[in-house]
Amino acid sequence: MTSSIRTSLIVPVLFMLLVSAVKTPEIVAQQADSVRIAELERNVEALARELERMDLGDVVVDLDSGEKGFGPAASRVYKIESGLSIGGYGEFLYENYAGKKQDGSASGKTDQFDALRAILYTGYKFNDRLLFNSEIEVEHAKEIYLEFAYIDYMLTDNVGMRAGMLLAPLGLTNELHEPPIFLGTERPLTENKIIPTTWRENGIGLFGETETTSWRIYTMNSLNGAKFSSSGLRGGRQKGAKAKAENFGIAARWDYIATPGLLLGASMYTGNTGQGAELNGSEVGGRVTIWDLHMDYKVNGFDLRALWAHASVKDVDKLNQLIGLAGSSGIGEAMGGWFVQAGYDLLRTKQDTESAFIPYVRHERVNTHQAVASGYSASASKDLTAISLGFAWKPATQVVFKGDYQMHETGTSSGINQINFVVGWLY
Amino acid sequence: MALLIFQRAFFCVAVSILTATQFLSAQTLTITEGVQLAFPGSIVERKTFFLNDEQKEEARRLAGENIPIDNNLVIPYIAHTDGNPVGIAYFDAHRVRTLQEVIMVAVDTEDRVIRIETMRFQEPPNYRAPGRWMAQFEDRKLDRDLSQKGDIATITGATLTARAVTAAVRRVMALHAVIDPL
Repeated sequence: MTSSIRTSLIVPVLFMLLVSAVKTPEIVAQQADSVRIAELERNVEALARELERMDLGDVVVDLDSGEKGFGPAASRVYKIESGLSIGGYGEFLYENYAGKKQDGSASGKTDQFDALRAILYTGYKFNDRLLFNSEIEVEHAKEIYLEFAYIDYMLTDNVGMRAGMLLAPLGLTNELHEPPIFLGTERPLTENKIIPTTWRENGIGLFGETETTSWRIYTMNSLNGAKFSSSGLRGGRQKGAKAKAENFGIAARWDYIATPGLLLGASMYTGNTGQGAELNGSEVGGRVTIWDLHMDYKVNGFDLRALWAHASVKDVDKLNQLIGLAGSSGIGEAMGGWFVQAGYDLLRTKQDTESAFIPYVRHERVNTHQAVASGYSASASKDLTAISLGFAWKPATQVVFKGDYQMHETGTSSGINQINFVVGWLY
Repeated sequence: MALLIFQRAFFCVAVSILTATQFLSAQTLTITEGVQLAFPGSIVERKTFFLNDEQKEEARRLAGENIPIDNNLVIPYIAHTDGNPVGIAYFDAHRVRTLQEVIMVAVDTEDRVIRIETMRFQEPPNYRAPGRWMAQFEDRKLDRDLSQKGDIATITGATLTARAVTAAVRRVMALHAVIDPL
């Protein structure tokens, strides 16, 4: 009985094993195909991962992550990322002056087409905390300047130390002056005569930012007061070239980003500018103090800007004597200026292109003789009002063609109107 | 005299910060860290999609603004909670000025952006987009306002970054629409 049961079980099992062992050629081929397809799928997935790693980088891609999910605590891959960064910007400016001044007399100005500036940015990131950044500029096709060159050392993720040739952190244009960034063929007058853009000196400082604010505070070799003029502070820039460093100044800035696109801020500078010069046996101080309030709003096609700046100069009588200036040619004791500017992108609603066409208007006033020293006279020619009507056409975000008509008026009716065109780029 | 005292104090503060500061972590995030920021505690499924020419063309059309889309491969990371999909994370690498940036764009199951995160940024840190600016993209779908011509403001001092990130978000959202990973 037992033997019969065993036989009845063993025989079918053996039969099944025999049948399964004897495969048809079709079954063998199907199994081989399945193996090859699985192998191909693994290879394709491996290639996809390799492409992802090449695209995003080793540091981002989790090399040990599995296909079916992530471990709860994948270890961070620390790796130094470094490299050379190159950029640049430039602009060519054509200026066409009116033949007559505001009072009808001959302007005497010659039209000009200038390869105003071509710039090469180069930077090198040594690691996540340490980098070098620089701007080398060719002005008027033949003058070469180092416009800034500094080392940044990040003390924390939000605070860093900066040393080298620094851009004075004042106003809206001094640090950000690539042509596609601002409206107008020329920089605002206040940011030329009161804040002497592009103002750079050698120094060291700290910078930082939070989600809503950014700030910078530097100490830099001061301006050279012996180079000031009745037209403002611009001549006092030493540009880092064997700069006299008998006097240092403090430059500081604070910006508040009220909402993305709206920036409100203030900046200041103070420092003696005598640079060791003596008059009648005593050192000339010549302290310059500059204040600025500024606003920038760019959202929903609007481009609005406003800035107010004021500068005071101490010991003006001594500086005037030092330079040999007299009468209405003296340096102003107080200077001030402001501008308001508004533009709107007419192509804002055109979604299939990145190009923009922005008509704009700017109204500005600057006076480098708001007050003068006792014994000197203020010149009304230094009280300048300008209204500019123009456009900026950007076929791409980083390229701009600008044109404007500037109407200049002075207190002595010596203003000269002009038409300007600019082609500018940034990369 | 006051200036001299101020300058000395300035240097003292700078040196003190320099010596006292503890270095914080590196600024690069991994995919795992990024996905867990967007979908905490989720289980993540990685998928691979290969695009044909028609799909790429459709993605370009949806992205608009001449945004380049050369991807042949799209890799969504689908987050699951309790077995149900809760969102998808995509990673986009692009150039800012000369060097690369990688961002994560996290999308919910209703095709809305829920988080943007900078994963890696190789340009100088002052060009990096702040988190508050990135928050502009949250709760937005791919439409005409998801653009610097629309509601997305630029970043003062970091125009190229603002443009690169905005283009990347539009590119990701267009690819998301084309592959429909869920």
